[in-house]
Amino acid sequence: MTKVKICGLQELEHVRAASTADAAGFVFAPSRRRISIEQAAALAAELPESVEKIGVFVNAGLDEVLEAVQKVPLSMVQLHGDETDDFIRSIPVKVVQAFSVRDIEDVKKLERSIADFVLVDAPGIDFRGGSGRTFDWSLLGGASIDPERLIVAGGLDAVNVGQAINSLAPYMVDVSSGVETEGNKDADKIKIFIKTVKGDSMQQTTGTVKETGFFGRFGGQFVPETLMKAVKELEAAYTEAKDDADFQADYHKYLKEYVGREQPLTYAARLTEAWGGPKVYLKREDLNHTGAHKINNAIGQALLAIRMGKRKIVAETGAGQHGVATATICALLDLECVVFMGEEDIRRQQLNVFRMKLLGAKVESVTKGSATLKDAVNEALRYWVTNVEDTHYLIGSALGPHPFPTMVRDFQSVIGRETREQILDKEGRLPDVILACVGGGSNAIGMFHPFVEDESVRLIGVEAAGEGVDTARHAATLTKGTEGVLHGAYMKLLQDENGQVQEAHSISAGLDYPGVGPEHVHLEDIGRVEYKAVTDEEALASVIKLSRLEGIIPALESAHAVAEAEKTAAAMGSDEILIICVSGRGDKDMATYAEKLEGLA
Amino acid sequence: MKRLENLKDSGDKAFVAYIMAGDGGLDKLRGQVEYLQATGVTAIEIGIPFSDPVADGPVIEEAGNRALAEGVTLNKVLLEMKNWDFDLKIPLIVMTYLNPVIRYGAERFAESCREAGVSAVIIPDLPFEHQQLVEPYLKKTGITLIQLVTLTTTENRLEDILGAAEGFVYAVTVTGITGVRDELTQEVKEFMKTVRSKSPVPVYAGFGISRLEHIELLREDVDGFIVGSAIVKAFHDNKIENIEPLIHAVTQRNPV
Repeated sequence: MTKVKICGLQELEHVRAASTADAAGFVFAPSRRRISIEQAAALAAELPESVEKIGVFVNAGLDEVLEAVQKVPLSMVQLHGDETDDFIRSIPVKVVQAFSVRDIEDVKKLERSIADFVLVDAPGIDFRGGSGRTFDWSLLGGASIDPERLIVAGGLDAVNVGQAINSLAPYMVDVSSGVETEGNKDADKIKIFIKTVKGDSMQQTTGTVKETGFFGRFGGQFVPETLMKAVKELEAAYTEAKDDADFQADYHKYLKEYVGREQPLTYAARLTEAWGGPKVYLKREDLNHTGAHKINNAIGQALLAIRMGKRKIVAETGAGQHGVATATICALLDLECVVFMGEEDIRRQQLNVFRMKLLGAKVESVTKGSATLKDAVNEALRYWVTNVEDTHYLIGSALGPHPFPTMVRDFQSVIGRETREQILDKEGRLPDVILACVGGGSNAIGMFHPFVEDESVRLIGVEAAGEGVDTARHAATLTKGTEGVLHGAYMKLLQDENGQVQEAHSISAGLDYPGVGPEHVHLEDIGRVEYKAVTDEEALASVIKLSRLEGIIPALESAHAVAEAEKTAAAMGSDEILIICVSGRGDKDMATYAEKLEGLA
Repeated sequence: MKRLENLKDSGDKAFVAYIMAGDGGLDKLRGQVEYLQATGVTAIEIGIPFSDPVADGPVIEEAGNRALAEGVTLNKVLLEMKNWDFDLKIPLIVMTYLNPVIRYGAERFAESCREAGVSAVIIPDLPFEHQQLVEPYLKKTGITLIQLVTLTTTENRLEDILGAAEGFVYAVTVTGITGVRDELTQEVKEFMKTVRSKSPVPVYAGFGISRLEHIELLREDVDGFIVGSAIVKAFHDNKIENIEPLIHAVTQRNPV
């Protein structure tokens, strides 16, 4: 995507408006936009690290340039005069050489530049440097300039910049007078220019939106004001608890003594043989007390709630696994527990409903909307808004307003940390591929997070394709969704063109959510994690496969990861290693299996 | 904008009526606005239906679902308003959740609001921290983004939010969702006093205002009232005339 440079900044207000740009220009040459090195240093200090600080000079002495580079400090230098190649080589940071292009001769000069980047501008009128007149872009048509080195300036504004980008696809566009009103920079014009170049999404604003709680440009705290205090308190409490050795010791004690961790990384010999590719390992979250990974998070949050003096818990549940985990931990720690569950899910997951009731939780049926997970979250949020002073919302996936996505990820990261140690122990090296299913994405983010920095490890999240991603009945948010805000976070959603959130469908009650955790959206955005989608039918086939080959009946959710693993394994060699996160066991899905797989026995 | 600014000078208590756009069909909206204007309300909030209205109670949620079933969208509501040719004397405020605005495009939203004659916008799930997403565009088109404060707003936040307030401040009278309520507590009264003492603009109380007793309890401590669920319900039940005493209790200095 084309980068944006805002040039000729002189005032703090405008520097702040430019904080979402990729580069800020400070002019040290004679110009009405000229500032001193000291002024530039003060302004540069207000900019995020990620914004390039570029000093603009015209035939300045090398000493002056070097002083500015050191004192501001500048990350790039832009030269508009008759500087020699030797001069350019003497500059310790990247150099932009600017050319006023009037005719084809000028284009040839530009082609010979040894600078890291070349900037094309319309000829100056009063001073050398930018003139603000629009450049005749067609002149560059035949030039052999790598677009990755090209910066375009000269009379750009929010109206014509699209044309410049379309015709030249430059590395960066440079604007100065185009974001001014009556000769002064205009903060609104700066923001709009940046937005125009970077597209109509949140991309352009996360820098000005307070950064806390964002993964790239996803996440945030999009909740009604009534909840802000609770969300901020939770943020503070979690930040403190996270680094408290006693809290961590308590949490790990419960994981060990109560949940039964650590869980094995089981070598799946028959699956390995059947697929004829990589060595297949299974991370056995199905062996956790209550039957799935959900309890890792429920314990952590319940302990945090107690630490915050809250003894009432509200939760939502889809498949019922999180509801059961929450009800279990509330029974153990003597907390009041209300669980909202969609009517449709209650029908599909009767066993879990009964378990929650047996554990002493109140299960509230949600009949609104699609009567599934999304609607259960709505009701849980409403309940929390109303009872916020004494109630903790124990959200079950890596969703919701900050700090929930981070906190849930941290509590689930025990999955990935154990896996990492175990595979190093067994194989002496990291795996080649790891797969995990993604609804909201908590088991996946917990599994992936300790591996994100290991570039050799391919990470694959598996969504529910329901009846197919090209039908109206699926839950493949990352594959088919678009950006939007739901349940407190900026993420990807299944929604219509009017921003109404649509119903998600999957045979698996734990995957049919029309959003996905913001960190997953970010990991997809930066290309670190791949996301694939598996249909109901494929998942069911994998249930049979894993049951008969390994004696492990997986939850429907986990079966999605198994199905994609089979496809992935087909292209892998026998010297490679593949790990599947078996997030839960299939007990809860027996009614569905009995119905769908009838005749199998 | 001008119309909104006039509010603070009038000295009367304001009555802001909320209606769900398109509940019963979008063709009803105009008549509802004309009726409320004739009844003497100070301003009208026009609600945009949303699939997941987590700040709203059952009355408004159901009205929203009815409107969605009628095919009502943000775009259609703004187009409808743009075409109105009757004499509109009071400010219109659009209340919408954030997602439809993002989908529509914040800049385009601001422009369409301007064309539709909208004076202000309320976005309940756009917190103060993230207002940069929308506010700069509204500002450019001269539309006010209304700030909300609640009983749970901490002191420092209150100062920050009130510092940015324009038009009026929407003071949420309950910890909870919108809806008809039986009681409002003394705590609310104290809260209103605090907000009003610090606010540079008029303070209107909303969420749960449905009865004359609520009005009487808070009358001296606020500059106006926002009534939603009670009005939405009355329109839906075809009994809007029953709301008139509530409106007049606020807007007429010597209520009957």
